Amino acid sequence: MSRIRRGDLLLETAPEEIHRVLDLCEDVRRMTGGWFDPWAMPGGVDPTGLVKGWAAERALDTLRAHGALAACVNAGGDLAVLGRPASGGPWRMGIRHPWRPDALACTVFVERALATSGTYERGLHLFDPHAHRPSSRAVSASVAGPSLAIADGLATALCVGGDDVLDRLAQIPGYEGYLVRADGTEAWSEGMPFAS
Amino acid sequence: MKRYPLVISATAAGLAGVLSFHSHSISEALRSPSTNSATPPRGGSHTTPPKTAAPAKAGSPGRAVAPTSSPPGSSTTRATGTLEQYGYGQLSVRVTMAGGKITNVTLAKLQTADTYSQQLASYVVPILRREVLHAQSAKINGLSGATYTSEAYAYSLQSALDKLRK
Repeated sequence: MSRIRRGDLLLETAPEEIHRVLDLCEDVRRMTGGWFDPWAMPGGVDPTGLVKGWAAERALDTLRAHGALAACVNAGGDLAVLGRPASGGPWRMGIRHPWRPDALACTVFVERALATSGTYERGLHLFDPHAHRPSSRAVSASVAGPSLAIADGLATALCVGGDDVLDRLAQIPGYEGYLVRADGTEAWSEGMPFAS
Repeated sequence: MKRYPLVISATAAGLAGVLSFHSHSISEALRSPSTNSATPPRGGSHTTPPKTAAPAKAGSPGRAVAPTSSPPGSSTTRATGTLEQYGYGQLSVRVTMAGGKITNVTLAKLQTADTYSQQLASYVVPILRREVLHAQSAKINGLSGATYTSEAYAYSLQSALDKLRK
């Protein structure tokens, strides 16, 4: 991607994975009404708001292909799971509290994937494709759903767009969202699978 | 340090960021004789490939810290994990096991590139420690939302556990 951004590599000759990731990016761009838009990033197309989830998902696919019956791949807080944990029951995941070091914001049951995007660890790093500047309306945004690549992109959009994107999420089958606003209040879509 | 473009790509990508983008400047900023003694330098130059060796390094030979020998009559063992570079610093953890359970995880070493990162680490590490200790009681199976620090923490922890299992 860096070579494409620099102009050293033509998209047409890029490896197949690049095209697959960019196709997913386009899907999420459309799903979010442009709140996720790698093509609006400064310096050229940048799929990093989705590709970590995609990579973790591929890692889980590899484990599955080699016969793993249960596994959890946690790529820096973006989780893809398979089967059941050793403790039995569904995978129960904590979502980091954006400010309180000794607390979770909530716990959720995860069937397939959970992604969280937040501004609390590294400040304002998300880019608002509509405002054309770094901006985010939520301090933490999580999306649960069947694909971690999609969930990762949706969580990025949810963090940037806040409640506007949460409303859109409600229309996307299979995906649920949860966010913490800058004032500490929370919002979620109806089917968010809270564990407590 | 002009961090803006790096942060845009790397924070959004988390893992990808840690594996490829940040290691250059930070590892150079942090390099000192003391930091290099524990871990071979990694990603220190622009020609170094991204840290794709991560999955293999749990078993990497040559820098194992021998588990503290158990006192007679006690099953308590300790080991220090590898020194892990992450986006904004490096850390290693020390794990204590007793009776087949992790009884404590402490930071053996933490160096950060700036005071802000130091604050972040001091904020994140207690959560990670709780997560490790709680994982044994099956309260949660994982944590969503932490990024850089948690990866370094997990890698170092895994290497410490690997040493104890030998």
